[in-house]
Amino acid sequence: MSIDTAVVLAAGEGTRLRPLTHNRPKPMLPAANRPILGYVFDALVAADVERIVVVVGYERDRVQDYFGPTYAGVELEYVVQHKQLGSGHALLQARTAVDGPMLVVNGDRVIDTSIVRDVATEFESAGAPTMAVLERPETAQYGAVVLHDGDVVELVEKPESDEYRLINAGVYAFEPSMFAAIDDTPRQAGELALTETITRLMDQGRVRGVRTEGMWVDATYPWDLLAVSDEVLARGHVESRRARPGERAEYDLDRADRVWVDTDATVHESAVLQGPVVVGPDCEVGPGAVVGPNAALGQNVTVGANVTVRRSVLDADTRIEAGSTLIDTVTGQDVRLGAGTVVPGGPADVRVGREVFEGQRLGAVLADRVVAEGAASFAPGTLVGPRARIGTAVRASGTVGEGAEVVR
Amino acid sequence: MCGIIGAVGRGDETLDTLVHGLSKLEYRGYDSAGVALTGDRLDVCKQSGEIADLRAALESREMRGAAGIGHTRWSTHGPPTDANAHPHLDCTGDVAVVHNGIIENYQELRDRLVSAGHGFKSDTDTEVVPHLIEDALADGADPEAALREAVAHLEGSYAIAMVVAGEDTVYAARNDSPLVLGVSEDATYLASDVPAFRDFTDRVVYLADGEFATLSADGYRVSDVDGNPVEKTIDTVDWDPEETGKSGYDHYMLKEIHEQPRALRQCLRGRVDEMSGTVDIEDLGDLSPTAVQFVACGTSYHAALYGEQLFREAGIPAQTFLASEYATAVPPIGDALVVGVTQSGETADTLSALREARKRGARTLAVTNTVGSTAARECDHALYIRAGPEIGVAASKTFATQLAALNLLALGTTRADGARAAIAALRDLPGNVQSVLDSSNAGSVAETYVDAGAYFFIGRGAQFPVALEGALKMKEISYKHAEGFAAGELKHGPLALVTEDTPVFAVVTGDGEMATKTVGNVKEVEARDAPVVAVTDGQSDVERYADHVLEIPETHPRAAAVLANVQLQLVSYHVANELGRSIDKPRNLAKSVTVE
Repeated sequence: MSIDTAVVLAAGEGTRLRPLTHNRPKPMLPAANRPILGYVFDALVAADVERIVVVVGYERDRVQDYFGPTYAGVELEYVVQHKQLGSGHALLQARTAVDGPMLVVNGDRVIDTSIVRDVATEFESAGAPTMAVLERPETAQYGAVVLHDGDVVELVEKPESDEYRLINAGVYAFEPSMFAAIDDTPRQAGELALTETITRLMDQGRVRGVRTEGMWVDATYPWDLLAVSDEVLARGHVESRRARPGERAEYDLDRADRVWVDTDATVHESAVLQGPVVVGPDCEVGPGAVVGPNAALGQNVTVGANVTVRRSVLDADTRIEAGSTLIDTVTGQDVRLGAGTVVPGGPADVRVGREVFEGQRLGAVLADRVVAEGAASFAPGTLVGPRARIGTAVRASGTVGEGAEVVR
Repeated sequence: MCGIIGAVGRGDETLDTLVHGLSKLEYRGYDSAGVALTGDRLDVCKQSGEIADLRAALESREMRGAAGIGHTRWSTHGPPTDANAHPHLDCTGDVAVVHNGIIENYQELRDRLVSAGHGFKSDTDTEVVPHLIEDALADGADPEAALREAVAHLEGSYAIAMVVAGEDTVYAARNDSPLVLGVSEDATYLASDVPAFRDFTDRVVYLADGEFATLSADGYRVSDVDGNPVEKTIDTVDWDPEETGKSGYDHYMLKEIHEQPRALRQCLRGRVDEMSGTVDIEDLGDLSPTAVQFVACGTSYHAALYGEQLFREAGIPAQTFLASEYATAVPPIGDALVVGVTQSGETADTLSALREARKRGARTLAVTNTVGSTAARECDHALYIRAGPEIGVAASKTFATQLAALNLLALGTTRADGARAAIAALRDLPGNVQSVLDSSNAGSVAETYVDAGAYFFIGRGAQFPVALEGALKMKEISYKHAEGFAAGELKHGPLALVTEDTPVFAVVTGDGEMATKTVGNVKEVEARDAPVVAVTDGQSDVERYADHVLEIPETHPRAAAVLANVQLQLVSYHVANELGRSIDKPRNLAKSVTVE
């Protein structure tokens, strides 16, 4: 493959994923037990990319701290988008860091390397701007695409009609002339969307759309992280390519099928791990705990004695004390749940702002550093903001705001 | 201290290899730099200033050669001028030498050489070496023998590298200053520290004191003082060369402050088991000291003061000494384990102290970040803090991991109550540090007090070393006057310095007797109209007397020290940044001080 540079757009918050994005951008949210962005880097490295320019902005420290200056031997160069003024504006920030053809990839969706390879191959043979196109039953959340002989002839953002069946996967290849094309694109309400420029390129010449397959998973709302995790675990895409001391997860291969336990995790002999399940480095799982199926524990998670964790994503440093039950739960980082916490899970109508999402399979979303003191229970669909404190034996429901204290 | 590099076998890339290596060693000194390449004659370029100035000087030069040496200097003898920059030449211009260390008898040697007709061009101690070699060569010795003969005259510490016109070979000798070889298929390297050539090879050979090395494109030869060959083992370093990039930050120091959660995870990984309440440290075996003496300098000394308290809490008598004082006036050691805390493992004062202790039959242990360092090799035991490379001269993540490692040491070698709670607190540390980083208002506090006349830091118990470290950090990078005091000492003198122009940073955690007493000291300060910045977990009522509060999460008192320190690191960083200081390379300072 002759494109050796990729630009990854990782500057956006992902506001619909609040309250989980309070301290980090969407690309740093967990897919199973490591950041979404790690899968994007894996896909690029597997496609022989030799240099990655990362456009960072919202809470950029988190991206830089986690990934550092290289990923699996590939240099990471960070450029900053100070204000989030659209994907085109984000790409423009990489201008001085790129001097040849480039892959451009959204950093906030788990993708397969085959998508990257397909785009690069098509770009090289066609010599025109190229985008990856996927078939999806639902196109309303995405950019819908109509292809004619491999040319993109229509690109509609968030279509209201359901006549479309192809979507823009957010993986592109461009010549450096793309930067000038973005410059020439008029801003819409102060923002520059990459798709605006692509639409103009369609009018001026041609834009290739390459039909592709392979894993492509997006989270729009917090509870989607459960489905993302399910898919990553189902496909066994657990291990990371990175070989950076201190972050490398090495899984113990002697365990049962689809049970990944890091060699630096401690699991008590009487604990039961039901696959698919992944246990990250430095985790401790206490006696009698039952973890899985479909559970992902990030690094340094503590699961106390006789805790049940099922279909849940528990992010780094979360601590669950003895006798708790968590079903369909997403925790942020450093969440502390006292003994006997209960999240029974199950379908719920979840209210986000003015919208109500009916019948979502969600126990609770607990943002970074939520503390529940013990014997608390969470009604299905509860959303708890960062640093909220839930008192002993409280029954929480609905939405609990950032830093709120709820007492019985 | 200084940084030296040598390379053979890089062909046309020799010069680039040397300059790249120097840029990786710049943390060791940066007031002048130079390189020498061999060909039919020697070609030398040297310059006062940073590596960037050397690069600029090289722009207008055509330098070639298949072997070469380079040097980045931190002045000990003679000011940083072009003439005092290394490499230094002999009278013929056929011998070039770079040196790290101090030659104690240089004046005597110089007088002798001058009276024998040698001309000196610099004020350095180093320059005696090429002239001594010149004499030996004139007497018919080959270059290797000439180096051996010259070195026999030297007293003091040195790592020396030499090239001679017409020879594609680098010659080296080591005594009390670090020197490591890098080995690859078609090239051989030497340097003061591994990062200098880590981009080219991960296979290294550590030289011991009194050893000589001869490097050529197809390999290396190591020999002892008498010229007998020495069989060396090749080690592989495991860290990634690119660990040393800035990853999007303006300064290494800020990057390294932000790396603390990860560094702490690495430090603790595989060593703690909260479920069973046990600590497992590979190298320590059944060590269970009945007394402990710590020796250390600078930031490491503050870590040692903290470590001393951990042992005392476990009922083990423990004392901390400044290494430079210990080495010259060794106290009675008895059965004590002597623990040297040194990030680099090459700190000359700490090494001297440890050697004095060994001489008296003491068991020694090094708490260090550097695998293969002199301290690690010379001590009976080594406990690695695993912080990863730290480039900023002012220590940040290595202090945090030193504190964590000292907790492991105390938990692993003593039988104390409450081990499980302490281990739980250690496991919570990375997340708690992240919490401080996510929400710190240190930037705005720094902005408020950037013009203050002086900064004072007070703390008690585990927070006393934090107060000292907070002040040291402020001095190092902001160049402003700062002092740390035990909170109770304030009224015994320093209170006279406190005015409305001197903010006092009070570290107060918990709500016990210690906190109450420190709050009492804060009231003394407040009554003198000094601004008070409280670093607190919110459990005491110190906030009532504070103008600003830097919050830390509530945790075990031991862990609170690490968290409070992160806030103080950030304050110093932001003050220095507001003042436009050279944060990663503060004036007059070098990362690890390998001279006494």
